[in-house]
Amino acid sequence: MTRLHSAGRQTARALVAAVALGATVAAAAAFAAPAMAEETAPADPNSGAVAQLRQEIEALKAQLQALQDKLEAMAKAQLPEPTAQEPAPVAPRAAASAGNVFNPAISAVFQGIGDMSVNHNRDEDGFALSEAEIGLQAVVDPYARVDLFVAFSAEGEAEVEEGYATFQTLPAGLQAKAGRFKSAFGKWNQLHNHAFFTVERPEVLSSFFGEESLTDDGASLSWLIPGTGSAYIESVSEVGSTPNDVSFNARRRDLLYLQRLSSVFTLTPNATLEIGGSGAFGRGGPSETLLAAIDDAGLTGVVEPATSLTSNVFGADLTFKWKPVQFNVYRSATWQTEALQSIRRVEDLDPTGVLVRRTVRSVGGYTYAEYQFAKRWRTGVRLDYTEFPDDDRARVHGASGIVRVQPTEFQEFRLQFKHTGRNDLAAARFDDTRTDNEFLIEWIPVIGAHAAHKY
Amino acid sequence: MKKITGMVSMTMLLAGLLAPASFAADRLKVVAALPNLGAIAQEVGGDRVEITTIASGLQDAHFVDPKPSFIVKLRSADLLLVNGLDLEIGWIPPLTQGARNAKILPGGPGYVDCSARVGVMEVPTGALSRAQGDVHPFGNPHYLTDPINAEVAAAEIADAFKTAAPADADYFEKRRADFVRRLQTALFGQELVDQVGGSKLFRLAQSGELDAFLRTAVDGKPLSARVGGWLGRMAPYAGTKVVTYHKDYSYFARRFALDVQDFVEPKPGIPPSLKHIEELSARLSQGDVKMIITRPYIEHRSTDQLSERTKVPVVTLPLEVGGAPEATDYFKLFDLVTGQIASTLAAGGTGR
Repeated sequence: MTRLHSAGRQTARALVAAVALGATVAAAAAFAAPAMAEETAPADPNSGAVAQLRQEIEALKAQLQALQDKLEAMAKAQLPEPTAQEPAPVAPRAAASAGNVFNPAISAVFQGIGDMSVNHNRDEDGFALSEAEIGLQAVVDPYARVDLFVAFSAEGEAEVEEGYATFQTLPAGLQAKAGRFKSAFGKWNQLHNHAFFTVERPEVLSSFFGEESLTDDGASLSWLIPGTGSAYIESVSEVGSTPNDVSFNARRRDLLYLQRLSSVFTLTPNATLEIGGSGAFGRGGPSETLLAAIDDAGLTGVVEPATSLTSNVFGADLTFKWKPVQFNVYRSATWQTEALQSIRRVEDLDPTGVLVRRTVRSVGGYTYAEYQFAKRWRTGVRLDYTEFPDDDRARVHGASGIVRVQPTEFQEFRLQFKHTGRNDLAAARFDDTRTDNEFLIEWIPVIGAHAAHKY
Repeated sequence: MKKITGMVSMTMLLAGLLAPASFAADRLKVVAALPNLGAIAQEVGGDRVEITTIASGLQDAHFVDPKPSFIVKLRSADLLLVNGLDLEIGWIPPLTQGARNAKILPGGPGYVDCSARVGVMEVPTGALSRAQGDVHPFGNPHYLTDPINAEVAAAEIADAFKTAAPADADYFEKRRADFVRRLQTALFGQELVDQVGGSKLFRLAQSGELDAFLRTAVDGKPLSARVGGWLGRMAPYAGTKVVTYHKDYSYFARRFALDVQDFVEPKPGIPPSLKHIEELSARLSQGDVKMIITRPYIEHRSTDQLSERTKVPVVTLPLEVGGAPEATDYFKLFDLVTGQIASTLAAGGTGR
């Protein structure tokens, strides 16, 4: 900066000097000229010759003027298409006022859900605005973008569903995320509720992670593995605190570590296959069942259950998509399957009132197949099976059929029939309901600039 | 010492062997969102670029699936050519956001919006809402249906190539000029180009003064009698009334003087209801509309039904290179499209 300044100063000095010199010379000439004229004029004896010269000069001047006029006329004549020389006028883009130019893209989605059990009277039956989501998405600066989704529950509570910055300009195929985000565990867990295939999440996800997706407050590093030719292989590593209160209900300082590896193969131009594996490594605290058992035995405050025991969940997923390139708007098929296993240290209260530790291995999974048979119509089937992370003997199975109608990309209606069956241990967790048959209906409108979803 | 000399010479030998490979790797890696852009980029880039096209010509450019295999292509791309005007809003953002390549992010040096210098039609004025269907807030994005805009896009692409590979600037400029010369000949015909000059015709066409200019009489006959090429082929059918499925032929219709009367879609992106088909049948039965134009990726039921009821012929025309087996490049695309329109109208009589 200083060097620039001094260089500028030098130039300025030189300029001043040159101007001063020029001015001096000009002034001298100006003074000298009239003096010379004064000297010569009266001394000239031959005024007739001067007049002749003047006349000649005048004639030349006139000729010059005529030539100039002619040239101008010619120049004008040579420009028959003044507009054509210019590039086509570009239409004014985005009529946004200057104050709004940098505002984020705003979108809103809400879900109206109706739930009606066929064989039970349940409290949750009826209609409800289950969730409204406001999305704010924008680029922060040349290095990062922010995606913020605030969800309002039917009870009117606002919650940051996701809010993270993505750093897109890291080297070596890396991309980082920081903030609150849905963990990259499997496929379904990363979806927002309105992007689910069915009205509700699969049983295994409710059982392992609860009614909210597994979410992390932390950082994520994703790596697109290079040197694989045209194959897409992605590794995602995450670390953070999780607000999860099922599998990872230990203290917040017990961090959750997650690793996912996935690959997408293009089988034909119309079909892809994605294979993925995920592992979530964290800590669990006492389950609700254990706390209830301690309470029933009147031992609350006497027996202290461990607050941080090993809890790991592993998952494998397989997604097949068929979309005929030429008619992808009218026909498509999706088949997605996920299998999960939880390996967890738990404590049981034995009859003598002592806590005994053991390892519980529970499994669960779902498979969902969907066919789109017209531009606006899709139909699908889902099969569910799950055990519980703290009890592998409590078992739930389910079967659902769904019809999805999308009048446009911005609106969807769904009608789902769902059958759920539970064994006694599982039924004990659901008001002793062994079987349930219910109809679910959902309406999802989207307004605003909701960003496109990933493939 | 000998050992070192040996190693050095070995290294040099290896380097020599690898040189052709590294030269090939020096070619600009270009990803084109759509086939027409890919075709124009190939004309300009020749063998100094390596082009990957994302969408297929048989596909609706509004609804391309952002498959991860394209993310892999974009990861190492030097340039991404997009149509712009929000045509690819549903699928380019997930691809660029996943590619981990700062060059091709919007605003980056490798993100090339080919619509930048195009005179856009149908820019909406007044309040915008999705009640109007899939309306494009920046105007009609199907500008490459007018060959004049291919010249504009070629200039944009050539500039991007020159900036990305300055050593090959002369090569790209030569190829661009050659493409433009062939394009002008194909559009206006050799005779008119020889007489008036291609660049003057281009400027007149771009500013909308071409028709007036062609009425000028030279040597006792109007210049319009000398129009050849695609314009010459379409000239007998000027003013013909047509119906198109989607609002994607505005630029083409303006260039080739077709009169688009209505659309099979009641609103852009909204499939026709029975009521709309009824109304359209009544409209087509008046007899003045000579042709229904649809696309290879659109359902044929509603157009077939309309044609059966009203005897107005349906033609399926590709919008992009690759949209038909014959449409292997931008020239053959327009050869095919103008040829098919002309033969359909010739069979059914002229429009006027």
